[in-house]
This record gives sequence, C-alpha cells and structure tokens, in this order.
Amino acid sequence: MIAFFSWVHQALTWGTVLKMVAGALIVLFFLLGAVTYMLYFERKVIGWMQLRIGPNRVGPLGLFQSFADILKLLAKEDIVPAEADKPLFLIAPIVAFIPSFAVMAVIPWTASHVFTADIAVALLYYLALSSITIVGIMLGGWASNNKYSLIGGMRSAAQMISYEIPLGMSLLGVILLAGSLNIVDIVEAQRRFMWFVVPQFLGFCVFIVAATAELNRTPFDLPEAESELVAGYHTEYSGFRFAFYMLAEYLYVFAISCLGATLFFGGWSGPLLPGWLWFAIKVTAFIFFFFWLRATMPRIRVDQLMSFSWKFLLPLALVNIVLTSIIKYWVNAG
Amino acid sequence: MFGFVKGLAVTISQLPKKKVTIQYPDVRPEWPERFRGIHELIPERCIVCGQCARICPTSCISLSGTRGEDRKLRLDTFDISFEICILCDLCTEVCPTEAIKMTGEFELAAYSRDELYKNMEWLYDNYIRHDGVRELEAAGEPRAVPEKAGERGE
Amino acid sequence: MADIRTEEMLMNVGPQHPSTHGVLRVVVKLDGETIIDADPVIGYLHRGTEKLAEDLQYNQIIPYTDRMDYLAAMLNNYALVHAVEEAMDLEIPERAEYLRVIVMELNRIASHLLFIGTYLLDLGAMSPFLYVFQDRERIVQMFNEICGARLTYNYMRIGGVKWDAPPGWIDKVKAFVPHVRKTMGMLDDLVTGNEIFLNRVKGIGAYDADTAIAHSLSGINLRCTGLKWDLRRNRPYSIYDRFDFDIPVGENGDCYDRYILHLKEMEQSLRIVEQACDQIPDGPVMGKAPKFVRPPAGEYFSAIEGARGELGVYFVSDGKDKPYRLKFRRPSFLNLQLLPSLLKGQNMANLIAILGAVDIVLGEVDC
Ligand code: SF4
Ligand code: SF4
Repeated sequence: MIAFFSWVHQALTWGTVLKMVAGALIVLFFLLGAVTYMLYFERKVIGWMQLRIGPNRVGPLGLFQSFADILKLLAKEDIVPAEADKPLFLIAPIVAFIPSFAVMAVIPWTASHVFTADIAVALLYYLALSSITIVGIMLGGWASNNKYSLIGGMRSAAQMISYEIPLGMSLLGVILLAGSLNIVDIVEAQRRFMWFVVPQFLGFCVFIVAATAELNRTPFDLPEAESELVAGYHTEYSGFRFAFYMLAEYLYVFAISCLGATLFFGGWSGPLLPGWLWFAIKVTAFIFFFFWLRATMPRIRVDQLMSFSWKFLLPLALVNIVLTSIIKYWVNAG
Repeated sequence: MFGFVKGLAVTISQLPKKKVTIQYPDVRPEWPERFRGIHELIPERCIVCGQCARICPTSCISLSGTRGEDRKLRLDTFDISFEICILCDLCTEVCPTEAIKMTGEFELAAYSRDELYKNMEWLYDNYIRHDGVRELEAAGEPRAVPEKAGERGE
Repeated sequence: MADIRTEEMLMNVGPQHPSTHGVLRVVVKLDGETIIDADPVIGYLHRGTEKLAEDLQYNQIIPYTDRMDYLAAMLNNYALVHAVEEAMDLEIPERAEYLRVIVMELNRIASHLLFIGTYLLDLGAMSPFLYVFQDRERIVQMFNEICGARLTYNYMRIGGVKWDAPPGWIDKVKAFVPHVRKTMGMLDDLVTGNEIFLNRVKGIGAYDADTAIAHSLSGINLRCTGLKWDLRRNRPYSIYDRFDFDIPVGENGDCYDRYILHLKEMEQSLRIVEQACDQIPDGPVMGKAPKFVRPPAGEYFSAIEGARGELGVYFVSDGKDKPYRLKFRRPSFLNLQLLPSLLKGQNMANLIAILGAVDIVLGEVDC
C-alpha cells in the first residue's frame, strides 16, 4: 500500500501521474477538512478561554459550524469594486492560496512519504513557495483600490519579508545539526540523537516568533489589525475569494505547525503510538499554542515590529547559527 | 521581560472554568421583579385620567374614553407606539390605579414598524400572558388561563 | 532617493469603523503611515437632548440623560437631579443619598471596566474584554434589580430615588466588591505586565498639565498629568465628604497613565462602595419634593465628577416647570478637543491607542 502510493522510486508513467493526481486530491480534501476543524477548534478554544462556549448550534456541539460558514461564503455574491484593478483583483486570492497548498507536498505525515514528495531540498522548497503568498496578498491589497487594503497589503509584505529571514535562519541550526535539507533525514537524525528543540532551543524560540509573524497571527496580526485597518488587505473581498484568503491563512498555520513539529519535535517519531498519531498530537499542540497566544496577546505596533525583527530576532538567529556550528565542529572533532 | 508569560497563565486557567453563556432562546434570562419591559394594561382599572399620556416624555401614549351611563369614564382606545417608547417607567409611576404596569416581556422585534403600534387589546393580552395568569388564578376567576397564554411557546 | 514623489493620503476613519467607539469620524491625512493632520467630525449621534429638554418637565428629562453617557447613566441622572435640587434647596433623605452614592460608584466601576475592556480590544487583546464583561454584567444585574433596567436606569428622581434597595441588595453589593478586586488582579497579570502592551502605551499621546487645562480637560484625562482635581474632593457634593478615599494621579500624562488610573480609580470607588454599604441608614428614599418641580427663576450651574470628567448641568429657569434652557457640560466632548493635536505626527497605529485612551462616549459627545 505504502509502496503503491510512494512514487519516489517509481518510473514516471501515465499510471503514476494519475496516482499522483489522485494522491494530491486526497491530500487536498484532507487538508480542507483539517482546516475546517481547525477553525472550529480555534473558536472553541478561544471561546473557552474567554468563558464562552463557542459555536454550538449547527450540528451536535456545533461540529458543522465551519461547514455552514464555508457554505455561506461560497453562496455569497462575488463583489468586485468598481474602481478595482479587475484582473489582478480576481487572481490575487488564487496566487495567495496555491502556494499554501503546495508547501504541504513536502511534509511527511508518517515515516514514509504517502502522497507527498520526498525531495532533497524540502526546506528550501517550503521557504521559497511560502514567499509567493506575499505576492498574492500584496496584489490583493493593491488591486482593491482601497486605502485600508493598501496599507494592510504593504504592512503584510513588509512584515512577511522581514520575518522570513529570521525564520530561515532559525531553520539553519536544525539543518546544520542534521546535515541535510531533507525532512525525512532531519526526523531520522532526531530519532538517533534527540529532539532538536533541546540543542536548538534558541533557534526554536526564534522560529516560533518568526512563524507567528509570518502567519500574521496575534500578536503580529497587523495586516488585519481590525481596530485600525478594518480587515486589512482583504477588506474588499467577499464570497469565495475571501474564503481563499482565509484558507491560505489557516493552511499556513497548519503547515508551520507541521514544520515545527517535524523539525524540532521529532515529527512522526515517538514510542508506542503509530507515527501519524504522534504527528497529529504534535501538530495539534502547535496549533493550540497559536490559538492560546491569540487569546492572550495585544497587538504589537507596526514600527516596533520591524525593529524587533531586524535588531533582535535576526542577530539572535545568527548567534544561534554560529553557536551551533562551533558546537558541532567541537563535537565532531572531539 | 517575561510579563506576557503571566498573561498566558491567566488565559489557560480560564479554560476549565464554568462558562457564563446563556443559551438564550432555549434558556430565558431571569428578570427581577422590577424589570421594565413592555407594558400591560388592565382597561377596567383605568379611570381615563390621562396622567400617563401627559407624563410620557416621548408622547407615545394616546388614549380616549367616554363617560358611561353610570357617569364613570370608560377607556375606549389606548395605544402605545413602541417605536418611540423608551421604557422609562414614568407612566406606570403616575398611574393612580395601576391600570398600566410593566411586564418582563422584552422581545419587541418586528418586521414592520406598524407592528410596533400596540393597541388596548394587545396590551390587555399582554397582561393576561404575564401577571394576569397569576392574578386571575389567585382571584379564582374562571377564565384564569385563557388560550392566549399558551402562545408564547414556552 | 530624495526626489521620490510621495503623495499624501486622505483617509476616513469612521463613522463605520470597528474602533471609533460609536460613530466618530476622524479624517486623517497620512504620509505613509504617519498622520500629518487629523480632523474629528462629530454629530452623527446628535439627538438634540438639550433642545428637547426645553419642552419637558424636569422629571421627564431624567430618562433622556440616561442616553447621553450610556455607560454611566446613573451619574448622568444624578448630575441633573443634583442641579435641580440645588436650585430648589431640597432636603434629600440620608438613605437616598447613600443609595445614590452606591449606584454611582458602581456605575463608575462598570464604566471603567468597560473602558479597560474596549481599550485592550482596540489594542488587539480580545480576552480582557470578555473578562471585564463578567463583572460588569453583575453590576448591571444589580442595577436591574434595583431599578428594573440594565442600561437606561432612570433611577433618580428630584428629591430622592425611585426605589429603595430590594431586600438583600446591599449585602449583594458588599459580596461583589472582592470579585472586582480579583478581576483587577487578573487584569494586572494578563495585561499590565505585558511587554507588547507597555510598548504600545508608554509615552504615547503624552501631554502636560498646562495643555490639559488649556483644553479644559477633566477627569482622568486631567489627572493623568499629575494634577489632583476631583470634584468629589475639591468641591464635595452629596455625601462624598464622609468617605475616605484617595485621588490617584498619573505622572507622565500618557496612555499608560490613563489606563492605570482607570484601574486605580476603580479601587477607590470600591472603597467608597464598601464604606457606604456599611454606613447606610434606614429611612425613606424620597424626600418632600413638590409634584411640579418649579425652580425659582434664575441661572444655575452645578457639576459632578462623572466617569469621564466634570459633568456639569447649566440651566436657566423662568419659574415654570420646564427649563428655559438646559445645557450639559459633557466631559467627553471637551476631552475630544485635544485629539487632533495629540494625533499629529503620530503613527497610524497610535491613532487607536490615543483615541481609545481619551475614553469618549459618542452619546455624550454628540448629546
Ligand atoms: S415607558 Fe416612558 S416612554 Fe414608554 S409609554 Fe411609558 S412614559 Fe412613555
Ligand atoms: S394614568 Fe392609569 S388610570 Fe390614568 S389614564 Fe393612564 S392608565 Fe388610565
């Protein structure tokens, strides 16, 4: 079964291509389901933290609430503002969404890649693709021809670009330790050694901060700072285009959680329980942490945000890399 | 430096606490006795003194009465426009016979403004629906629980 | 680089904007994200209360005052009845005065709680908003028990109060006080120590006492500059001279001071409530007020310390049962005047921090 869907070593025939497409579709639907319940989970968790009970009307325990919301979004009119740059406005959400789905291709759910790709430069692939989303967000902000959207779009571009660097840097430590860009290798290295969160604690801290910023989540949710910018770059979007943006956003939360769980917490490895369950537990913990932050933190200010990234996070990440290299050299030599 | 960690502790400590949400249409809030909701009117008690209409700051009460054969004034019409009523309670305060009182009813939403114009019959029904059930039963009157009482869908 | 052409941007914040607290509109001129000019536009909630009052008997005006500063309606009620009572030299029963003080201070607490909640919500923290609402809800429920309404109380009358406290109410208030203290401790943990919050409010929107006086600010907006001016102390009205409480003041006049002062004032209000609950005597709650209130002809002004500053009532009587002219000195309206000069040169993100900390209620600004 696993060999059947693991196409790394199969010849590229029509049959394999078909299987790939089928695999991709299955992953897509799985992810859509995951995101739907992530939304539900978020609302429940934040509700509980705020002494509310969260969604509870649609379906038992409100389990179908997110589906109802998505249906509502899909059924809504797709409004294009009269003064908007129409073609750009129409494609921007798609530009933002596609990479968010594509990055999931390199995340290993279990010990062997099922449906996903075991590529050698997986981390680079992830970072490269995820930056394309910024273009989608900026385009959306620009094409809406709305001042709030414009400021929101600019803010997110500035923010995501400046936090991508510390994010990448924080991953370098892990790469150094594992000696590979391949995610499976990194997990294997952790299995032999220990979870990288211990030797890479500094790197992990930088990672989690940069990741939160990269995801535009509280306390770094400036692009959508609703008390200042209404809804930021997607102010003018409605219906399914708006859904695309939301989807992209939540997919990234999921993807970053997967990445964090894999790189710092040993991914699918763990005793007793099957690999996929370990992976699910770790990812859920990450997601929970993001929600928890959201329930707690006020929003950081935009000018402080930039200086925090460049003056604090980046040097910290660099120090981490240097330390890691020295220690690794020293251990190897000794 | 790590003041925000305390904040994280606060939010997570709320997680298992009892929630305060009331499942509104299923569970109704308990209003205290003095709650000022929509009025109820008992036309027999009204002596058509017009004080309520005079004190009303928004002039939303309009009433009229005629002198009956026993030379007593009887109420003919009594309307309150809930479009402009501010539920201030002044009318019930001045009413000498407690003909007009306030109930715990607060759901006024309607599809059209005309529906917010309530007449004497409606206000009397409102009395039946609320205090009336209790009072008439206490008085042992036969029509203690009129059909209308069941309409609230409780 | 120098000759890159930039363009100013005119942006409308409000009246339909998530955080202008009602329907305030601020027209800001932006250079990038820096505000070079801000112009508040008010009047969207104008209902002509003062004009309407000229056609109403004094007791009929009371429900209208509920709708000015709807977060502290008890204080508004009191401002009006106090002005009329002073004009007529009425004797108010002791119990009524105590009840008034209790509900006013509770209302001040409720209003301050709401300020803290909405202010933090503006700054992006959601949870405190819901936490403070829990306590506020209890206050509102207590008001509901004593006067039958949750927001528009219409509780005070010229000469006393409408209802006596229901049985057990005073004990309920007493039991409630420690709850607020607990919430305040929680807010301290949750927010006051948070670095992000501190960075956003410390040193932002600061002004000095002279500016504050020049703009005739009052309330916390004045006290945050270090000026100790509270009408409850400086010109005691009602029975405030019987209570032991402090007037907390700030130092720097920035948003942080204003935030902290709200917390500190709540503590003082709690002290007043506790003392009043202990001292409250039995007796009637309504004095001998004439049925038709006719203050002698003349001009009257009296002011109280509202939740947002000095809440004054000025009226001209021509001896009839309706005022010839009635004017409210609404603290929110006057406090708002400082906004444009505070905003100039600030970052767009500070707009919300500054506007929120000025603590306006649009019902009161527009009246
Ligand atoms: S409650 Fe007030 S506004 Fe409504 S009818 Fe009575 S007096 Fe008029
Ligand atoms: S005040 Fe009472 S008795 Fe007089 S007219 Fe109004 S309802 Fe009737």
